[in-house]
Amino acid sequence: MKSLVGFRTLVWREIYRFVSVFTQTIFPPVVSSFLYIFIFGLSLGERIETVHGFPYLVFLIPGLVMMYVIEGSYSNTSSSLFISRWANNIEELLVTPLSYFEMVLAVLIGGLVRSLVTATGVFLVSLFFVRFPIAHPLAVVYFVVLVSLSFSSVGMIVALFAEEFEHLSICTTFVITPLIFFGGVFHSIEMVPSAIKWLTVFNPMFYMINGLRYGMLGIADTPVFLSGAIVFVIFIALFSLTVYLFRIGFKLRK
Amino acid sequence: MTPAVSIHSLTKFYRKFKALDQVSFEVEEGDFFGFLGPNGAGKTTTINVVTGLANYKEGDVRIFGYNVRSDYRKTRALIGLVPQEFNFDPFLSAEQILLFEGGYFGYPWREAKKRAQELLESFDLAEKRKEGYKRLSGGMKRRLLIARALMHRPKILILDEPTAGVDLELRHRLWDFLRRLNRDGTTVFLTTHYIEEAEKLCNRIGVIHEGKIIALDPTDVLIRKMARDRVELFLKKPLYELPRELVSLDVALRDSGRKLQFEEKEEVVPRVLKALHEKGYEIEHIDVRRPTLEDAFLKLTKKEVHFDIDT
Repeated sequence: MKSLVGFRTLVWREIYRFVSVFTQTIFPPVVSSFLYIFIFGLSLGERIETVHGFPYLVFLIPGLVMMYVIEGSYSNTSSSLFISRWANNIEELLVTPLSYFEMVLAVLIGGLVRSLVTATGVFLVSLFFVRFPIAHPLAVVYFVVLVSLSFSSVGMIVALFAEEFEHLSICTTFVITPLIFFGGVFHSIEMVPSAIKWLTVFNPMFYMINGLRYGMLGIADTPVFLSGAIVFVIFIALFSLTVYLFRIGFKLRK
Repeated sequence: MTPAVSIHSLTKFYRKFKALDQVSFEVEEGDFFGFLGPNGAGKTTTINVVTGLANYKEGDVRIFGYNVRSDYRKTRALIGLVPQEFNFDPFLSAEQILLFEGGYFGYPWREAKKRAQELLESFDLAEKRKEGYKRLSGGMKRRLLIARALMHRPKILILDEPTAGVDLELRHRLWDFLRRLNRDGTTVFLTTHYIEEAEKLCNRIGVIHEGKIIALDPTDVLIRKMARDRVELFLKKPLYELPRELVSLDVALRDSGRKLQFEEKEEVVPRVLKALHEKGYEIEHIDVRRPTLEDAFLKLTKKEVHFDIDT
C-alpha cells in the first residue's frame, strides 16, 4: 500500500536522524546512567537498607530506565519537530500525501525507538553491577511503550508551542526532571516525609515509574492496574491532542 | 474536462489583514499558467492554500476536482511544489533528500533510487549526490528544489519564483526544461517577478493585486487588451510647440522637439501625420514598439489606474 511506504519512510527518517548523531543521542544517557548506578547504587546504596525487600541498587534500576525512556522520547521528538519548524523543512512533509495521523505516529515511533535503544543500553550497563530476573515482561513492555509514546507526544506538543530552542530545555529543567525525581526514581514513597506524601499521588511520573518497577521487580508503591489505567489515559489524551494540533495546523500552517 | 486548479471565492485573512479577497480562477489541464502580481499581492498565499500550507475559511479550492481540505491526500499526491525559499532537511544529502521525498509519496526504495538517479543526472547534480545541501551553490539548490518536486511525477507543478536570483544561463535552461515538461503533459503554475519569463513561457496569465484577481486572459489577449503599440516619430526639424489638435491625443514632445511619442489608439497615427503635414514638418523615420506583458502588467498594477476588466 502506497501510504504505508510514506509512513515507513518517515519512521525511517526519524530513526536515521538520531542514529546519525548517536554520540549526542545514545551515548550520553548510557554514560550518565553508569555514573548514577555507580555513585547512587554502589557507593551510597550500601548505606541504605533494603527497599520493599530489594537491595537499593536493584530498586534503583527500573527508575533509571524509566527516567531515560522519558528523557529519550521527549528529546527526540521535540528536537526533531522544532528543528523542522526552524529550518522550515516541515513544509516538505506537510505537502506530502501522508495523513496527519500518520505524520504524528511516525514521529512518535522515532521517539519510541530512541527510548528503547537508550533503555536497553541503561539496562545492559546495570548488568555489570547487578542481575535479577524480570518479574512481568509484558508489564515492562506495556509501561515502556506507552510512557515513551506519551512523552514523545509531549515533545511534539512543546515543539509546536516553542518559539526558541531554549523553550525545549526549559520544559525539561522545570517540569519533566523535577516530576521524574519526585516521582520515585531514587526513592520509595515510604521514604517521603508524610507531610508531602499526598502530593506524590498527583504526579503522573509516580505511576509510570512504579508501573515499570512492578514489571521489572514485581513490587510497587501503587496498584499496577491503577498505574496501567492512568498511563493509558495519559497516552490517549496526549496522542489525541498532538494529532488534533497537526490537523488544525497549529503553528504549522499559515 | 476537470480543471487542474479551480479556485472559487477564496478569501483569506492573516488576523485582520485580508490577504485574498474573493479570488476565483481556473487553470486548465495542460496550461502553462503565469500568476503575476507585485510583492505582497497574494501569490504565495494562494499557492500555500492550494498546497495545504495555509488554512482558509471561505471559498472552495480544488485540484483536478478534489477538494484541498477534505481530499487533501489526493490533491497533495497530484501536486509538485517548488517553494520560493530553500526548505531542505538540514541533515540530509542531495540524494537522500530525493529518496525521502520519493518515499513520502509512496515510492518503494528501489524505484525511488532509480528516479532520484534520473533527476540528479537531468539536473547536473549527479556528482554532488553525497553532498549536504548546504554545500551546494545557489543554482544547485534551486535545481534540487525542482528535482525534489518532480520525484513523484506530479500532474501539476507549482513553482513559486523559481528563477529568483538564478543566473541567465541557468534561467534559460530551466525555461527549456519547463517547456518540455509542459509539452509532455504536466500542467505548470508559475509565479514570477520576471515578466519576460511569463511572456515567454505562459499561455495564460492571471494577475493578482492587493488580494484580488484583476486580470485573467490568454497572454496575447491580455497584452492586446492592456497595452498598445508605442509610436515614435522623428522629425527632420524640431517642433517647438505641439499643434493644438494633438494636445488632446496624449502626444508627447521629446528630445527638444525632434521626437513625438504616443500610443497607437483610435487612429492617432493618421491624425498626427495629417497635422504635421499641414504644418510643413517632414518625418525622418518612425519607430513602432510592440507592447509587452510588462507594459500590460504595469498598467494593471499602477495604483492610480482603475480597471474595468472582465475576469
